[in-house]
Amino acid sequence: MYGPYRRTVQLIAFALMFAIPLLNLYEIYVVTGTFYAVNIGGLGIADPVVILQAIFASGELTVPLLGAALFPLFIALFFGRIWCGWMCPYHLLADAAGLLRRRFRGKGSRLARDERLVVADSFKANTWRYGFLAVGTLAAGAIGIPVLNYVSAPGILSTEAMILIKERLVSLEFSFIALLFLLELLVFPRFWCRLFCPTGAFIAVFRLPFTLGVGTSIRTPKMPCCKENRCSGACPMGLAPFREGNNLLCTNCGLCIDACRAAEGPGRLRFRGFQES
Amino acid sequence: MSSGWINSFLKRVFGDIENPLTNQFSENRLRPPGAVEEKRFMALCIRCNRCLEVCPYGSIRRAGLGTTMGTPYVLPLEKACYLCMACCRLCPTGALDRRLSNPEAVAMGKARIDTSICYSHLFMDHDMLPENAGQKIGALCNTCYNVCPLPDKAIALKQNLFPVILDGCVGCGICVERCPTRPRRAINVIPAGMGRVDEAGFHFSKARKHFESTIGVEKDGTSGALKGEQLLEQKSLIDGAKDQPNFKFPYQVPKSIEGWD
Repeated sequence: MYGPYRRTVQLIAFALMFAIPLLNLYEIYVVTGTFYAVNIGGLGIADPVVILQAIFASGELTVPLLGAALFPLFIALFFGRIWCGWMCPYHLLADAAGLLRRRFRGKGSRLARDERLVVADSFKANTWRYGFLAVGTLAAGAIGIPVLNYVSAPGILSTEAMILIKERLVSLEFSFIALLFLLELLVFPRFWCRLFCPTGAFIAVFRLPFTLGVGTSIRTPKMPCCKENRCSGACPMGLAPFREGNNLLCTNCGLCIDACRAAEGPGRLRFRGFQES
Repeated sequence: MSSGWINSFLKRVFGDIENPLTNQFSENRLRPPGAVEEKRFMALCIRCNRCLEVCPYGSIRRAGLGTTMGTPYVLPLEKACYLCMACCRLCPTGALDRRLSNPEAVAMGKARIDTSICYSHLFMDHDMLPENAGQKIGALCNTCYNVCPLPDKAIALKQNLFPVILDGCVGCGICVERCPTRPRRAINVIPAGMGRVDEAGFHFSKARKHFESTIGVEKDGTSGALKGEQLLEQKSLIDGAKDQPNFKFPYQVPKSIEGWD
């Protein structure tokens, strides 16, 4: 079961947003920064899309710029979009919205339905996402300002947590997160991660054949192997994991694997490279 | 390259058009020490706010809504930069020069003294004149000289009496923070790369509003904060030869101090 582990890691990352400024208040500077860029004991980790924009906006390609994005790209190369599925604080909020949607699902409920994704087709969703990334990056190059930072959900959340701890106030940018959350809850389930998030889009580019992904024990699956199609029902990104385990939308969250375990089909989903235990 | 390369390409095609989004932040805000030229700073700064977190004095603030949103700045009217150089080391993208460690090499801006309200200059220009004898509107204040981290490099006392700014000024703004004149400071820092010198103290109007809202000027003029000429007039009435004014202290003098005999 990957679910409990994933939730634990997510909650730790969420707590870290508050812990970093708290530590800094007590003048412990081992970990500094927000989820735009953190520095853990001298290891600089910056959001690759933020670095991409800085490169485009400034028109320079320097060693410190590239070095800052090296570690996350290295992680993305081997583990895929593990940042999104396992660590991103906004993904946790989106999960929370999903839980709320399921909890209050009923006839009188006006919440959005999980099944009704706004752009259900994964290819169209990817096109939309990369289009947004490309437009944002080109705009950053054109006006010399990293514009996608204004809409980086994990970065804004983390910054909000920081100024909440440090200055005890909430800035106007929090309304952006609140707006996204309400839209997720009421109208477009999972729309931000699937259709817009530039960070998720950019780190998915580095998906190679050997990158961690979901595979199935059936050689060439065309149809879901259980009647209920449990894996597709479990996927928050609206994929069909039995054949789209390698899709750019996949965050390696492992929900489909957990769902498959409960199903009674002949095939089994698992992370490629990991033996089923 | 000063701004984006796409921008420079567009400029080549369309001629030299000012970018409406980039020129509004080029003035009136003090960037943290080691900041590169403003347009490049806007391009390189990824708004991670690491400098803000690491600042031990809480000098660095976060810009609010607008194109500069999330970028760091220093408002010396409220909290100046104390040149500890902790922020430069941490910048992940080089928006703050990470090799910079010498406080004397910082170039955040240059201080400028407004001689029309500086107490020391007023004293020299006004009180010293024979026809103005007895009219005290100035004072030998020199606070800016006393608090400057680089005395005699950044600021000097001319004739040992009134302060003048030298080329060594790095623009940390400690003098601005400590300057006693209100509501407008007699010394202001002109941010590096700022076009118009006369706009120094841009935050003046904001500071005045804040000042008025906190103190509350009474309408009848009998109490509350005095301003400008009124304040100077009131101050000129204070004379050492007359009765000493009674000041109320909000604390009590301790009878004994722990650990002291």
